[in-house]
Amino acid sequence: MKTLQFHYHMEIAFSEPVHSHVYTLKCLPVTGAAQRIEACAYRISPESRVREGMDSFGNRMLYGTVEEAHSLFTVDVSGTAVTDVPRPVPEGDRREPSAYRYQTPLTRAGERIRRLLADCGGTAGMPVCDRVRGYMEAVHESLRYEKGVTDIATAAEDALALGRGVCQDYAHILLSLCREERIPARYVVGMLIGEGESHAWVEVYDGERWRGFDPTNNVAVEDAHIKISHGRDYRDCSINRGVFTGQAGQSQTILVEVAET
Amino acid sequence: MGIISVENMDRLFWLGRYSERVYTSARLFADSFDRMIDMDMDNYAVFCSRLDIPNIYGSKEDFCERYITDEEDPNSIYSNLMRAYDNAIVLRNEIGSEPITYIQLSVYDMKKSRVMRAPLVGLQKVEDDILAFWGIVDDMIEDENMRNIIKVGKRVERLDLYGRLQMNRESIVREVHRLTGRIARTNLRYDEKNLKELKKLAEEEQIDYDRVVALADTLRKD
Amino acid sequence: MEIELTRRAETVNELLARYGVKFGIYKNNEFKEQLFPFDTIPRIIKKEEFAYLEKGLKQRVMALNCFIRDVYGDRKIIRDKVVPEEFVYISSGYLAPCDGVVPPRGIYTHIAGIDLVQGKDGSWYVLEDNLRVPSGASYPMIAREICRKSSPGTFEEYHVEDNRDYAKLLRWTMDYVNTGGHTVILTPGRYNAAYFEHSYFAEKTGAHLATGRELTVEDDYLYFVDYSGRREKVGAVYRRISDEYLDPMTFNEESVIGIPHIYDVYRKGHVALLNAPGNGVADDKGIYYFVPKMVRYYLGEEPILQNAPTYLPYYEEDMQYVLEHFDDLVLKDVAEAGGYGVVFANKMTAGQKEDFIALLKREPRRFIAQEVIDFKDIDIVENAKRVPRKADLRAFVLMVDEPVVWKSGLTRFSRNPDSFIVNSSQGGGFKDTWVLSQ
Repeated sequence: MKTLQFHYHMEIAFSEPVHSHVYTLKCLPVTGAAQRIEACAYRISPESRVREGMDSFGNRMLYGTVEEAHSLFTVDVSGTAVTDVPRPVPEGDRREPSAYRYQTPLTRAGERIRRLLADCGGTAGMPVCDRVRGYMEAVHESLRYEKGVTDIATAAEDALALGRGVCQDYAHILLSLCREERIPARYVVGMLIGEGESHAWVEVYDGERWRGFDPTNNVAVEDAHIKISHGRDYRDCSINRGVFTGQAGQSQTILVEVAET
Repeated sequence: MGIISVENMDRLFWLGRYSERVYTSARLFADSFDRMIDMDMDNYAVFCSRLDIPNIYGSKEDFCERYITDEEDPNSIYSNLMRAYDNAIVLRNEIGSEPITYIQLSVYDMKKSRVMRAPLVGLQKVEDDILAFWGIVDDMIEDENMRNIIKVGKRVERLDLYGRLQMNRESIVREVHRLTGRIARTNLRYDEKNLKELKKLAEEEQIDYDRVVALADTLRKD
Repeated sequence: MEIELTRRAETVNELLARYGVKFGIYKNNEFKEQLFPFDTIPRIIKKEEFAYLEKGLKQRVMALNCFIRDVYGDRKIIRDKVVPEEFVYISSGYLAPCDGVVPPRGIYTHIAGIDLVQGKDGSWYVLEDNLRVPSGASYPMIAREICRKSSPGTFEEYHVEDNRDYAKLLRWTMDYVNTGGHTVILTPGRYNAAYFEHSYFAEKTGAHLATGRELTVEDDYLYFVDYSGRREKVGAVYRRISDEYLDPMTFNEESVIGIPHIYDVYRKGHVALLNAPGNGVADDKGIYYFVPKMVRYYLGEEPILQNAPTYLPYYEEDMQYVLEHFDDLVLKDVAEAGGYGVVFANKMTAGQKEDFIALLKREPRRFIAQEVIDFKDIDIVENAKRVPRKADLRAFVLMVDEPVVWKSGLTRFSRNPDSFIVNSSQGGGFKDTWVLSQ
């Protein structure tokens, strides 16, 4: 168990001013499973009336519209999280774990993923966590961390073929392996001590509770990770969705700080 | 009903303009055509320059065919009719199915006129349809504002065409009066200053036609 | 039997053209409007026969509505293993964002279009349920109007249920779930295949026809914005755009015809959407197999209407049957619609068959197989002669406090004598459907 201070900063810079910018953000960590959020405050700029809601996965949403012209959109979230709490807290997701056993277009297994799975050997009968640990190691070994070679639309099979990628790709491949074996597995977005950007990993249902596995770092999730949201794949968890009026290019920057108090 | 979006307000206005453009240009064409039969074969060049449309036509025959029914010629009566149709078809909710049928009929009649040797006979049917359309607009559109917006479009277009063709002073004066009377009965946003100037121009002995056309085209503020 | 109306075909067609009874079609990426070919010989359904259909249709739609509520709610039917969970979760019509969202009055299937065919022996089969945005009711509605004008004598002689009350029925359906505010019919715009229908319904129901650009969300409510900038609250949206384009903030981010945050308004119960998003999970061709089971499961009744005999290669014994009787079957790709993805095994070459069977074994969940029904043909007039053609019937069931079946329907026929495909997008025509009142 740890008490962590976090600060999450996202900014989108537009090359030209835009207006009527409609946004939905899934950027607030939520109490559930193995973490408790003790304090959490946010600020969105330019100011607009912000509504709060919850999606079907139990993720918290902030949404609204910035009508005025602006070239910079920023979101800051800060607070305190207690991680790896001994007694799991009920979570907002009312979906059955088995709903997470099915591939999505981003995680669908092809030849390479099936081969990787075969290389892991027959693991049926072993406890779920041990099996997943094996898969995680295989994913970690198969991929080299490199930015800029994949993007948000890259499917697991393609990333594996490329042999390179970022945390999102690691997570998608691990999801694919688990789901081929009908193990309920979900995609997680969050923050991590020592990681300056947002991070992604996987949660697996072991029959009693959801447990986190971080294939990028090849570690089981314990008390260094703060979870923001989860879903079937990246698409259910995108931190920011927006549409706006204006002809502008945009670049997004995310800065994350997590420290133990 | 009562509430109407910006887009549909605009469409009502342009439905008025284009249907009027079809009607008046068909009539103007008829005058010019009569002269071209045996008096002044090249009168179409004058017609084009007055209406400010490019004279892309090679001969009297070419003009008579293309100016009326050519789909590719953006200035043809057919193209303008299709613009009226495009606006009408999306206004079923505002003006009702019945008025739209007359625009639809004029499209069919226009297509039929294509195969006729005597263009004026085919065009006459189109004119009849448009007149019936105006009749039903008056008769069936209950919402006064909507009805008047269409008619403002019609009046603006007629003033524009008469101005371009430098019609006699009486015609211009009459059209200015009709337009100013009509626009006051809508909640269209328009330029008061321009309207005043237009009224003043109509009082002058010598009509400044270019200015009349310019003012008519910029009267609306949306 | 000679109906006077059939001698008035020319007048009828002239009037249909005059009223612009058209549907849009894309050919070589260009939008074209076509008149929807109409045949004057009506499909006639006797009073007692329709009463039977009516009962069966109500039952079926009731069960489908229960199913959708259950799938996005308690999932009892999955837990009880009546429907295998993968058929739900892999279905492209299953939308996770709909999970746990209950629409106003718990109604999902406000307007259902159930496609039926009649076998040679007279028995009816359901071929397909359309629970997303079924279209077509406007055509028989306006055709009737025109037929009555063209041949009043016909309607003096025959006692036909008036089908022009559809607008009233639709309005009632929209008002029943309205959460307070205006009623809007949302259209993707005039270049949509069914634009005629959208604008016609708006006119006849007195609802506002709007595109996404005319609606806006503010503080969890939906508004229609008029030219003066005045905002009017909207309480019900009969949307004629598909789920994925409805809201770029929840569904397809690229959508430009939707309304950002409309789904959040809906989630909070501040607007009714007709039909409810997520209905695709119940009209999937794979789920179709389970509809009779749903009737038994939710209503505790025996299904009145039967499915066309269907096999699910997903089940071992069905796969066996499909392989053994391959040549007699029609195979349907569950992800396709509009008459696409349908193949008749007896029309395949040996090579195609082999490839198809391999595909079927690889992806058994993707296909259903059905017996080819020996359709009862319906006559149409072609070149002044009566000739038989294949036809189906789309019945419309509207859900108010209970399901109401419209006493008519869209009868579509194939103009090609060898074809079973009746879709307008593939050149089919339509007929009026008469339900006799005595």
